[in-house]
Amino acid sequence: MPNILVFAETRGSALRKVAFEVVSAARALADANGGGQVHALCAVPSGGAALAEQLGKHGADVVVAVEHPAFANYARESVAATLAERARSSRYRAVLVGFSAQGRDLAPRVAAKLDAPVAADATEIRIAGDSVVVKHPVYANKVIATLQLDGPLVVLSTRPGAFPAKESPRTAAVESLAPASDPGSEKVTVKEMQEGGKGKIDLGDAPVIIAGGRGLKASENFKLVEDLAAAFGNAAVGATRAVTDDGWRPHSDQIGQTGRQVSPQLYVAVGISGAIQHLAGMRSSKTIVAINKDKEAPIFKVADYGIVGDVLEVVPALTQAVREAKASG
Amino acid sequence: MTTRLFVLSAVSGFPAFSGFSAVSGFPAVSAFPPFQVIFISACLPGSFVKIAVCLKRTPDSESRFKIAANGAAIDESGLKFDIDDFASYAVEVALQINEKQGPGETVAFAVGPDAVQETLRKAMSMGVDRAVQLKTDASTYDGLAVAKALAAELKAGGFDLILFGKHAFDTSGGIVGTATAELLGVACVTAASKLEIANGKGTARRELEGVAEIDEFALPAVVTIDEGIARPRYPSLKGIMAAKKKPLETKPAQLGQPRVTVKGMELPPDRPPGRIIGEGVAAVPELVRLLRSEAKVL
Amino acid sequence: MTTSIVVFLLILTAGAGFFALNVQRLVRYLRIGLPENRTNDAGVRVKNVLGIGIAQSKIFRDPVAGPMHAAIFWGFVVLTAGTIEILIQGVFDGFSYDAILPDPIYRFYAFSQDAFAVLVLGAIGFALYRRLVLHPRRLEGDKLEHTDAVIILSMIGGLMVTLLLTNAYAYLAGSTLIGPEKFASRFTAQTLGRSAVNPAFWSSVFWWGHVLILLAFLNYLPYSKHLHVVTSLINVYFSNTNGPGQKGVMRPMDLEAEVEHFGASDVDQLTWKNLLDGYSCTECGRCTAACPANITGKSLSPRKIVINTRQRLMEKAPLETGDRMEFVHPRLVHGEGGDAGAATATQVVTERLLDTYITEEELWACTSCRACVQECPVSIDQLDIINQMRRYLVLTESRFPEEIQPAFQSLERNGSPWAFSRADRARWADGMDIPTMAEAMERGQRPDILFWVGCMGSFDDRAKKITVAFARILKACGINFAILGQEEHCHGDPARRMGNEYLYQMLAKDTIGTLDRYEVKTIVTSCPHCFHQIGNEFPDFGGNYEVIHHSTFIERLLQQNLVPLQGEQGKRLTVAYHDSCYLGRYNDIYDAPRATLKRALPVVDIVEAPRSRDRGLCCGAGGGRMWMEERQGKRINVERTEELLSTGADTIAVACPFCMTMISDGVKAVASEVPVLDIAEVVAGQLSS
Repeated sequence: MPNILVFAETRGSALRKVAFEVVSAARALADANGGGQVHALCAVPSGGAALAEQLGKHGADVVVAVEHPAFANYARESVAATLAERARSSRYRAVLVGFSAQGRDLAPRVAAKLDAPVAADATEIRIAGDSVVVKHPVYANKVIATLQLDGPLVVLSTRPGAFPAKESPRTAAVESLAPASDPGSEKVTVKEMQEGGKGKIDLGDAPVIIAGGRGLKASENFKLVEDLAAAFGNAAVGATRAVTDDGWRPHSDQIGQTGRQVSPQLYVAVGISGAIQHLAGMRSSKTIVAINKDKEAPIFKVADYGIVGDVLEVVPALTQAVREAKASG
Repeated sequence: MTTRLFVLSAVSGFPAFSGFSAVSGFPAVSAFPPFQVIFISACLPGSFVKIAVCLKRTPDSESRFKIAANGAAIDESGLKFDIDDFASYAVEVALQINEKQGPGETVAFAVGPDAVQETLRKAMSMGVDRAVQLKTDASTYDGLAVAKALAAELKAGGFDLILFGKHAFDTSGGIVGTATAELLGVACVTAASKLEIANGKGTARRELEGVAEIDEFALPAVVTIDEGIARPRYPSLKGIMAAKKKPLETKPAQLGQPRVTVKGMELPPDRPPGRIIGEGVAAVPELVRLLRSEAKVL
Repeated sequence: MTTSIVVFLLILTAGAGFFALNVQRLVRYLRIGLPENRTNDAGVRVKNVLGIGIAQSKIFRDPVAGPMHAAIFWGFVVLTAGTIEILIQGVFDGFSYDAILPDPIYRFYAFSQDAFAVLVLGAIGFALYRRLVLHPRRLEGDKLEHTDAVIILSMIGGLMVTLLLTNAYAYLAGSTLIGPEKFASRFTAQTLGRSAVNPAFWSSVFWWGHVLILLAFLNYLPYSKHLHVVTSLINVYFSNTNGPGQKGVMRPMDLEAEVEHFGASDVDQLTWKNLLDGYSCTECGRCTAACPANITGKSLSPRKIVINTRQRLMEKAPLETGDRMEFVHPRLVHGEGGDAGAATATQVVTERLLDTYITEEELWACTSCRACVQECPVSIDQLDIINQMRRYLVLTESRFPEEIQPAFQSLERNGSPWAFSRADRARWADGMDIPTMAEAMERGQRPDILFWVGCMGSFDDRAKKITVAFARILKACGINFAILGQEEHCHGDPARRMGNEYLYQMLAKDTIGTLDRYEVKTIVTSCPHCFHQIGNEFPDFGGNYEVIHHSTFIERLLQQNLVPLQGEQGKRLTVAYHDSCYLGRYNDIYDAPRATLKRALPVVDIVEAPRSRDRGLCCGAGGGRMWMEERQGKRINVERTEELLSTGADTIAVACPFCMTMISDGVKAVASEVPVLDIAEVVAGQLSS
């Protein structure tokens, strides 16, 4: 009956979605192997005990609260040291963290400290005798590798979204733990946190890109593209060469062979026919939506979902629908 | 650290002794009163900075992959390999820092079979001064083992800065850089999208989910490099010719018994062919449904 | 020996001697350039001199300035005989060819002298009027250049005037040598009247005047842009002889050479022929007037490239050769575009042709369309200089517009300038039952023809339709052909045109390896760039194949009645055909695509844009411009599309996938609905069943 230690990621004192996913993944793994305990460690400036209810609801048996004012930010060395020390001090089969920006940083640190085999970005985890076997998408998701980790204790990070948060309510016991090293004096210190959302999202970082082409017909119609991006919230606006050449958008917004090459989760091509120059810059996007009047347009060949129609009508309707979808959850 | 460098290089003329104050027990810069740092750096506008860049050789990302006959690797025939994109950003960052800082040295490292020599040459054609291959029979998914081999080699190198790509296209784990830092016991910033090195200190920017974190750290340090930080330079023919003459050292890597092994590789189900889901405004609800349930992007 | 003979001989020796010194100096300057063999193909060279030089074939491309210049040039040639006569008279008073020539020939000679003197005077008058009153745009240079031209024209005028006056006064003095054939001299004499005082004296004065102007002219030339008077025939002789079908072949580079630099950043890194081009440029501006980049407002001017090369040579060569005659050569040192040149020796040493005179921006604006080379009346190769400087930028300094790096990278990794997977290369052929070479060989078949598809034809959605159309024609005609499929990759031409000779040679040699492995003899392709590269440039690397562009190939099939066309008349079409540079100016193929259209479409009117055939305007994609941004001036493709649309055509036909992209984009940009079709698509559309 293996116990599993998870890192419950927080920002400030609030749990992040990925924390519930990791706890749920650990719960499922423990249950599949005879029902061991799930211990969730969180490092917060204060109020660690208050997180027990939410974590317990998702299947944590014990919440290990590590409190220090310096945990207002990610004190990476102290968190890693504390997590590793906890893992060492008790018998765990695995340490699980989410493959988030923090988790990507944390997992290898903990593994190195514990000298434990480590795998990242797992989409499936199972325990097979003395080994832990995970599935891990590699080559930019073009191949899925099955990895076997040999060792009494392994460190894993889980792909966000691959293990949906599930409820498995119980009352989690709260333990408090002192940080294993002083989070106030780290080799790396966080000088500043810059909130996103206010500034423009860079095309390279944006998970969603709404791009407009000549099919918008006039500069003023580009507003429709901006509105759709605003409805998504996390979207950046891109454009084709024709559009930037005509001065509707700055050249820095150009996507294509001679502009930016992007691969967001979602790419919405609005009034873009899909010339080779443009396709070269966005073809590797995960999901491509195309809206174009001409059903013969090459963009439909690469689009996962296409709508044939006048962009001036379809896009406002889509903007409205996305707004509603976002509002409803 | 800068102080020590100044003293050493001025007195004994051994600029290569810079770096690794943390490893060798010297106090880090932050322990000095600030005025000293400012004073010294004013005296020493271009201190000798030694940078290591750890590379990976990966196939081109546009490749269409096939699984090898043994079912536990990709079929490498017909694939074009090159320096990994993230590693090439790291090389560019290293070169830019050295160009800005004045005298310095950039050394490329790669763990792997002899094919990585080509990758190391490429880095040298971009401007890296010399290269070290840590030779293994094959590439491995045991990131911690690779980190151990690298750390063993880098430990005595006297590097101020060790750069990695944020992750590599093939293993996509992002483990090696951070684990190497941990084993060396030096500061580590992962996925830096901006990096500045000045006066023995570094400032980096990391893009977190919806937030940017600005980190400060003392050298020596490991930094893993995210995209968008710098466009890697294209080697000139002159650089390619020069690279042929630069030193490339080959040493056996100490990987040990791998504890992470590939049991299988498979291709994900084919992306369904694009489809036109409808015409005009009427198709919008169906699109939203698909974005939600199928593509899971809404 | 009289005093006057002694004085004459002294002046003649001094004048000729000083000229000889200058010739030596200029030859010495040429020697700072790299060596290059230009002595092969003597036959072609002589033919070029006779056609382009003596017959002034390229001069006549301008209907106004052409006859004017030809008159002056031929006048010069004819009057040189008279000049020699006059110089002999300096020693043997009263000498005349009359004494050695049979009478009818002498009379014809005498007539020709006066006739051309008048013709030249008329042409000079027109030239001055054109330059001083009309101000054609292409002649706009700086002030120094303008003065230079006026001085030269005045001197030539002076020579004619003194010639006629010498003769006229001689006639008045009773000379028997001025027969009725010298009609202009006699007419001048009549105008002066019998009343002229002491005609023998005045004849002598104008004779001296003529001799002195002649020697002054001779010695002024080396300091003037009109040095072309001396060098242009030589330049034509040494010009590129890669005759029809072989034009515009870029010179191969030795990439293994132990050199400090690859390509050219300064005059001593160019070849002596590039430098001779500088001597030969008289700044007529025909190149710049035809340059698509310049026409659309970009900073590139091919004329400036050549003038800058000469300007830099005149600064650097004296230092390099330790020249004692290095006093200012203002006429040759003047620049274009405001750069005054180096003022001090230190500046001469620290500056170079690249950056100081010719900017990166100018070099990258070139579409390699060869219009400048085509237009130059004295066979200057502006493009060769541009290409060598691009090579320097890329190979030595790795400097280029950042947007072409992805193209270089994709060529390296994916074998195509766009990042598409090799595995998708033959997707267009899915379900068409077209064998690859490998498949055919496996079945023991030996295809007659390899269809080289090209990257555009393989990956660009629009161009794929051309590929399919051409493949359908081949199949309909029962041609035994195959494709390379995934084994095809770019031959490297885009890299070569963008200065990346290293990448080019890698791809080219690899391609030759593949072609030779399948013992390919004959290749057809629908891309003029592939056509030119494989057919004309591969031989330098040992790849020798018969390469046929699809326009020629379809034309042949139509000629042999092999294409099963439907008999219907259909509707009458008015088609404007846009010439591809690499088909036209590079390979002299103008008629085949037009003939194909006429044969395939029973009722068609072919209309020509104002600029067509060898004067055709580039679409803007050549020279690697396809992968670069066009931020300066008007877009070339829009300019070209407007020209094509101005013909009133209801269809635009092209024969190149790159032109297809550019012209289609242009049509969209001007919100026109006129369809753009490749000739293969036109023919495929007429196939029966």
